[in-house]
Amino acid sequence: MSETSTAAGTSVQTSAQALACARCGALIADGYVPVAGRASFCSSCRTLVEAWPYPQWLKLGLVGLLVLLGVALVHGEKYFRAGRTMYKGERLVEEKRYAEALPYLKETLKIAPRSDKAVLLTAKAALLTGDMQTAGAAFDGHDSGKFENGKDAEFLEVSAIWNRAVDAMKKAQAAGKLAVHEAEAARMMHEAAAQYPEMPSLRIAADSYDGGVAFEQKDYDTFLAISEKAWKEHADANSASGMASALGCKYAVTGDESFRQRSEEMLQRAFEMAKGDAEELKVLNEFAERNKYRLESRVILTKAEYDKRFRSAQAAKQ
Amino acid sequence: MFFIPGPVIAALTFPGVIVHEAAHLFFCRYFQLKIYNVCFFRFGNPSGYVIHEPSENFTAMFFVSMGPFFVNTLLCVLFCTAAFLPVWELKVFDPLAYFFYWLGLSIGMHSFPSTQDLSNLWTMAPKLAKQGNVLAMVSLPLAGLLVVLNYARVIWADLGYGIAVGVLGPIAIFKALVR
Repeated sequence: MSETSTAAGTSVQTSAQALACARCGALIADGYVPVAGRASFCSSCRTLVEAWPYPQWLKLGLVGLLVLLGVALVHGEKYFRAGRTMYKGERLVEEKRYAEALPYLKETLKIAPRSDKAVLLTAKAALLTGDMQTAGAAFDGHDSGKFENGKDAEFLEVSAIWNRAVDAMKKAQAAGKLAVHEAEAARMMHEAAAQYPEMPSLRIAADSYDGGVAFEQKDYDTFLAISEKAWKEHADANSASGMASALGCKYAVTGDESFRQRSEEMLQRAFEMAKGDAEELKVLNEFAERNKYRLESRVILTKAEYDKRFRSAQAAKQ
Repeated sequence: MFFIPGPVIAALTFPGVIVHEAAHLFFCRYFQLKIYNVCFFRFGNPSGYVIHEPSENFTAMFFVSMGPFFVNTLLCVLFCTAAFLPVWELKVFDPLAYFFYWLGLSIGMHSFPSTQDLSNLWTMAPKLAKQGNVLAMVSLPLAGLLVVLNYARVIWADLGYGIAVGVLGPIAIFKALVR
């Protein structure tokens, strides 16, 4: 008797006189001796059922697909690379090592800018290291900031950080426009820095505004203390010139030659640090002129006062 | 939950049907069972079949019945390697990846042996399990699970299985290896 993987009838004839093939129904005339209880087959069907061949198209199809798979895997090597960098970046983000995660995630975005996961991880790492530019670029490169699931927890988290950062930047820009009202500008900048502490430049700017307030109030000790703090935390041409300015003020007020010497030294350092930066050198050259006047005359003028007294006269002469 | 007629699903995932029947055929040949008829694919119910002689050899019957489960699963994983990252995680539009995504899932969706296949095992296994046949002991819970999954096809359990083995599993493994 035959059993089937699916229901299908198979007839069996066991007559000794007229033996028919159970498969094709042809009479079996080759002297085949049937086995009791088992189906009988003609010679051609017997060959077939004992070794059913794999169709040629099946064999070729499988070989073809395996070759194509090889091609796809070679062609898709970059996807494995992108996946590797994305998961490495993901792990680092989970461990709150955002600065280390960012290079990996940027690599992923080169290959998969439309991956929600990669973009959100990159934006999160960038925003939490104060790098709004990278975060913005990641969003722009991803369907102009459109995501599949606006209720996804990851999306909502990154969205909240982005909005916080944008608000802080708006406050910082507003502070920058309050040129005359140093105290108000300082207050706003401190708010911006508190709102987005991940961006150190906001805090540095807030300290700088504090220095401006101290200068305005003629509190040169505070001005110097703030400048020293800025120099210690981020030594660059800007903080060096800030130190030079504060030291120049202290010399102007006290007459202590050590302040003058240090002011000149800091200005020299500022020029060394600004080498190659045309914009920075331009600013330094402008400041150097005013600082020189401050050290020689021991008169402290704001930039506006100096411009009004000396530069507008020069412009008039020209 | 939406319903699509079985023949339509079979037509859309025909490679899986072909591989399923080819797996039956392979193990029938391996265990030297007589094969009376083979249909790799047709528009009907069932969409494919392999008619073969029965066997008292439980190992043979196990592999003939469960063959598609192993072979289809293996090929599903294999073909989905070209797709699980670009399609699922990276959202890259690569036609070749999408082709293998369809191919791998189609094969994975037809991993489950039919209820007829499983009933053959279910008939033989209990007695042999009592006699200490390890394969029989393993096959009982496996067959039980597969019967349930078979019926759960109406809620796309077959697609879920294909995605689980072809995509989610490899992603988890890849992640673990990389991290």
